[in-house]
Amino acid sequence: MGETIAFLVFAGIALGAAVAVVAMRNLVHAALMLVIHLLAVAGLYLGLESQFLAVIQVLVYAGAIVVLFLFVIMLLGVDRDDLLVAQGRRAVAGAVAVGLVLAGALTFAFVGPYTGEASVCGSDVAPTGTEQSCAGIAPVLDADDDAGVAFLGRRLFTRYTLAFELSAVLLTVATIGAVVLARRRDLSPEDEDLPTGEVTA
Amino acid sequence: MTAIPIGAHLILAALIFTVGLVGVLIRRNLIVLFMCVELMLNAVNLTLVAASRIWGAADGQVFTFFIIVVAAAEVVVGLAILVNLFFRRGTVDVDVPSLLRS
Repeated sequence: MGETIAFLVFAGIALGAAVAVVAMRNLVHAALMLVIHLLAVAGLYLGLESQFLAVIQVLVYAGAIVVLFLFVIMLLGVDRDDLLVAQGRRAVAGAVAVGLVLAGALTFAFVGPYTGEASVCGSDVAPTGTEQSCAGIAPVLDADDDAGVAFLGRRLFTRYTLAFELSAVLLTVATIGAVVLARRRDLSPEDEDLPTGEVTA
Repeated sequence: MTAIPIGAHLILAALIFTVGLVGVLIRRNLIVLFMCVELMLNAVNLTLVAASRIWGAADGQVFTFFIIVVAAAEVVVGLAILVNLFFRRGTVDVDVPSLLRS
């Protein structure tokens, strides 16, 4: 009962905020709607027994990525939305039609196998036909592992160790790339032969 | 009111992904396009976490963890390129011809 109410509330907020991100004219408002959406998704993670990921979502997405977005928006001063209107009416209608077809197809695929009585996590109903039962994470957790951190970490540092190491390399490359891209090119004279393009801002 | 099946999360993720896709298709501002890509990545994350709960395995959560890492790296480099582009061209409108020509 409580789980259902929490899901409905967070799902409504997440979907409404996602639509608002697309529809908002003011970029700052869109970024703030993105924060609300990400926090609602973190709430959904809590309902899905993934507490660690909920915390990571709040820290990395809502804490770091959206702040970066807001920083760039305010640095460039492009929050007044003159050129950001959608393309022609026909293109918008086509895009919405494509979206409706995609959403319909995905929903059609999920309704049935994943929406029966047996697909409620923790239910004792036996799955029939193509129905998929839901095992839930709680039964496989250790007794002293309330938040599932050891459950996640054990898999992360055994089977996916190589991917973990590669993600460290990726973050280093991204940091170096951002520093190189953000370097000012008009300071030292030997850099003047670089193509700078016309600066219109 | 009965308990919700796990498919509700999957359908919600599909709807969020669709909203992000429509946003990428209809908006012209590069920053909004980035935000819509984040929406789509989030929808996929939600699907993976739901799958992790369906099968009681940690793999979906590990994948989500890596997607968050890659998304952070992507946003950092993408926004740095966007700032450079804006200072060189004076616009972040993706409909402007030759936006990427040097």
